[in-house]
Order: sequence, then structure tokens, then C-alpha cells
Amino acid sequence: MLRRVPLEDTAILCALCLVLLGGLAILGWGVLVPYVLHGWLIALAAGWGILWMVNRLADAPAQVPQAYSDKVIRFGVVAALIWGIIGFAVGDILAWQLAIPALNGDMAWTNFGRLRPVHTSGVIFGFGGNALIATSFYVVQRTSRARLASETLPWLVFWGYNLFLVLAASGYPLGITQSKEYAEPEWYADLLLLVVWLGYLALYLKTLARRAEPHIYVANWYYLAFIVVIAMLHTVNNLSVPVSIAYPKSYSLFAGTQDAMTQWWYGHNAVGFLLTAGFLGMLYYFLPKAVNRPVYSYRMSIVGFWGITFLYLWAGSHHLHYTALPDWVQYLGMTMSIILLVPSWASVFNGILTINGAWDKVRTDPAVRFMMVAVLFYGLATFEGSFMAIRPVNSLSHYTDWTVGHVHAGALGWVAFVTFGAMYKMVPWVWQREGVYSLKLEAWHFWLALSGTLIYVGAMWNSGITQSLMWQTYDADGAFLYSFLDSVVEMHPYYAARAVGGLLYLIGGCIGAYNIWMTVSGPRKTKTLQVGPIPRQPAE
Amino acid sequence: MTHDAVLVFSKTWGAVYLLVVFLAAVLWTYWPSRRRIYDDAAQSPLDGREDQPWQ
Repeated sequence: MLRRVPLEDTAILCALCLVLLGGLAILGWGVLVPYVLHGWLIALAAGWGILWMVNRLADAPAQVPQAYSDKVIRFGVVAALIWGIIGFAVGDILAWQLAIPALNGDMAWTNFGRLRPVHTSGVIFGFGGNALIATSFYVVQRTSRARLASETLPWLVFWGYNLFLVLAASGYPLGITQSKEYAEPEWYADLLLLVVWLGYLALYLKTLARRAEPHIYVANWYYLAFIVVIAMLHTVNNLSVPVSIAYPKSYSLFAGTQDAMTQWWYGHNAVGFLLTAGFLGMLYYFLPKAVNRPVYSYRMSIVGFWGITFLYLWAGSHHLHYTALPDWVQYLGMTMSIILLVPSWASVFNGILTINGAWDKVRTDPAVRFMMVAVLFYGLATFEGSFMAIRPVNSLSHYTDWTVGHVHAGALGWVAFVTFGAMYKMVPWVWQREGVYSLKLEAWHFWLALSGTLIYVGAMWNSGITQSLMWQTYDADGAFLYSFLDSVVEMHPYYAARAVGGLLYLIGGCIGAYNIWMTVSGPRKTKTLQVGPIPRQPAE
Repeated sequence: MTHDAVLVFSKTWGAVYLLVVFLAAVLWTYWPSRRRIYDDAAQSPLDGREDQPWQ
């Protein structure tokens, strides 16, 4: 026990002890039942982590195999699928509630304001975040030809991140929220995520430092931008003062307009660096692998990287057009959003032209089809986004369902499509299977997801434009021609269509999860060519 | 330092800064002698060497 404990293990143990103390303080001093339960969850998880670490340190140091560390990736894939199904299902329940309000059963916890963040956090952070963590671990190891630089940090990142997600999703229905869109978790969950994220950053940088070639493959640039910027956004937007250790409630350090600007600087860059940069990293690795062709223009992918990182950070104020925000900040956000179209479409053309020469794969391989459609939706959503950021257009689109349609064109069409495409490739690789269980089911998933997305986005375009026109129609005397309720009644057919589209998407997702489950439980590859961790050779 | 002074500074030097960063990135990436690095990097996921860690 008295052998030399590595610095990294000491740091992790200290972090775990701090988290344990935090959890104990919450469960000891906490007053509200859900908050106390969160304290128990945190304390149990941290205590379990400490025991695991102490056990590891007490044993003789294990030989680190000369193979990639893939087990944590498998956990990440499964977690992403579970959160994905939960997130899609809650989203579709909400869609049906909007079409038929009586479906909320008149219960407080099924209130739209409480269930919606379960949907958004479930799909963005649960599905998207776990998929990004898993694929980033895969990509950084392969492109660096190095094993993850730690045996403990990957697990801290995976379990810590998923604990954060459980705290978030269980807190919302019980009323624990700081009411910041996409940053709803309260201060104690935010502190936990900060610890996890610093571990993720350290792990990623340490693994890159072990790479075989001096050049870092471009996919890692995008993943790293995602990790660094999320750390920055999360920290600044969640600067707040808790009222007491006894309650989950906290107040933002910023007031009024500053608070709104900070929130949308955060909100839009979560779109830019989690839902865009991270998934572009995924695309720039898995698309070339899937079509067996190099990125069409590698240099363009690098110029696009600098364009996206430098421009996105200025675009957030387009969420606050015609508000108390100074006009020049609004015009700055609008201008940057328009320029942003250039690097965005550079990535689109780069993606499509990478497929050029392997178009037969779009027909024969549904995973490539997923990724191709993802690129097309990325092009559509970034064009639409730049367009909607123009102030007069925004005066039409803001507060209407057009925004909802835009977000889902990006989230369903781009983010989830590229994720499913990458997963159908990566799952057989990390589990050493010949291929996916059924290409037919994969194609079914694709067509269900595509029709669901088209129905969803089409319905929201129609309802959004209808809303904005009804809200801006005046009679000869300058009075509103329609009451707000008139526009709500008019939405019903579109809301019903949206719920059907979401249902198709959910069914597709379930088929995908089943297909991946059958792939995993199926037979291993007969003859491995030393792929992955099977040949456990001791290090020389 | 007034709000207006910050505004003028960011409108002028902010624009120059973004342009210089952009030009630097383009020159750095498209400099002819660096072509080989990027051509090799583009091929690196496909060259079949990533099946096993290198050390």
C-alpha cells in the first residue's frame, strides 16, 4: 500500500474526496427530499469511486496491454443509445401533449416546463454528449495510434458525466432547475460536471501527446475545440451564488441584459461547439473511413476549423434581436452569423466531395447514406440559421415554431444522422464483429428517420409561418385581426403531424438500438487481424 | 474608458484582428511547401497502420 502513488491517481482521489464531501454536505444539510436524494447519489457514486481506486492501488500494478482501450467506448455507445431512446420518447410525448393538451394528466411533473428539459438534456447531452465522448475516445486513439493515456480517467469521465445527466434529468420533473435554457442543472450538478470535464480535457491532451506522428489529424482539432469551449461556456454561464447548502436554488452572478447575453453566448456556442464542431470531428473521421477515400480537401477542413471557431463565438446575440441588448451587439451577431455560412458550407462541400467517386456506397451502405443526408441537413440548417439571424427575418421567425423546426432540422437531420452513421461503422469495430446484424433493418431505420425528420420540419415551417403571419395581421384601424388563441387553434394539424413525425423517428431509433444490440450479442469476427484489444500482448 | 471608446476600438481593431487571423490561417495552411504534410495527414486514417498502437 505504501508504494509510490502516481500523481494522476492522487489528483483523482482528491477530486473524488471533494465530490464525496459535497454529496455528504447536501444529504446532511439538505431540506428538500429530491435534493437530499441527489446528495445520496453523489456521495454513493464518489464513495464507490474511491473504493475502486483504493482497491486498484492496493493490488500489484496491472500490466497495461499494448492495445487500444475500447471497453469504455462500448459503455459510451450503450449509454448514448439509452439516453437517445429516453430523449426521443419524452420529446414525442411532449409533441402529443401539445397536440392534445389533456394528455398531461393534470400532474405537476408532466408540465411542459418540467418535461421539456428532460427531452433537451436527454438528446443533446445524453445522446449527443455520450456519442461524442465515445467516438472521440475511438478517434483520438486510432489517429494517434496510442492507447488512452490513463486507465482510470476514462471511467471517471464516463461515470461522472452520466451521473451528471441522471442528476439533471431526475431534478427537472421535481422542480430543480436554474431556468437557463440548455443549462438548467443547478450549481451542485454544474460543479460536478466541471470536475468531469477537466478530467476529459486532461485525458484528451495526454493521449494526443502520445501520438505517433507530429501532425494531429483534423478530427481531433474539432473534438478538442468542443472540449475546450464547452469547459469555458459551462464555467462562465453557470457563475451563480447558491442561497444556502440546504437548498438547490441559486442566483446568477449577472443581472438583466448581461445575464441574457451570457446565456445566449453560452446557448449558441453549445450549438456551435457541441452540436457542430464535435460532430464535424466525427464526420471528418468516420466518413473517410466509411467510403475509403481521404477528405476531399484536407486544407479546407483546417481553414474551415479556424473559421468556425473564430466566428461562432460572436454569433450568440442573434438570439436577442429587438431586445434591450445594444443595437450594435445585435448587428454584430447578425453579421457574424451571415459570415459563418462560408466555413459551414465549406464543410458541406468537403463532405459531399469526399463521397464523390464512391456514390455506389450511398446505395449499398445505409451508414454512408446516413452520413450523406447528415451533411445535406447540415447545409440546410446552417443556411437557414444564417438567414434567420438577419434582423427583419428574425422579426418574422422569432418566438414561432419556425425556430423549433430549424433546431430539429439540425438536431434530427444533422447531429443524429451523423451519429447513427458513425455508430453503425464503429460498433462492429469496437466489438470485433463482421458487420452490422442486419443491413435491411439499418435501411429501415434510415428511411423511418428521414421521413420522420421531413414531416417534423415541414410541419414546423408551416406552423411557424402561419403563427408569425397571424400575429402580424392588422385590420384597417391597426388592431390585431386574430387573437393569440386563434393562432393556437390553427396549429392543431401541424402539431399532430409533428407528433407523427417524431413517432416515426422514435421507432427508427428503437430499430437502430435493436440492430446494434443484435450486432453486439452476435458472433465475433472469425479471424482477427489484430484489431483492438483481443491480442493482449504484454508491453515490451 | 467609456462605452463608446470600447465600441470604436472593437469595431476597428476587432475587424483588423479577425482579418489578420484569417489571413494567417490561410497562408499557413496553403503555403506550397506545407502541402505534403496535409496530403499525408489526409491519407493517415486509411493507410492501415492504425490497427495497433505504436508503443
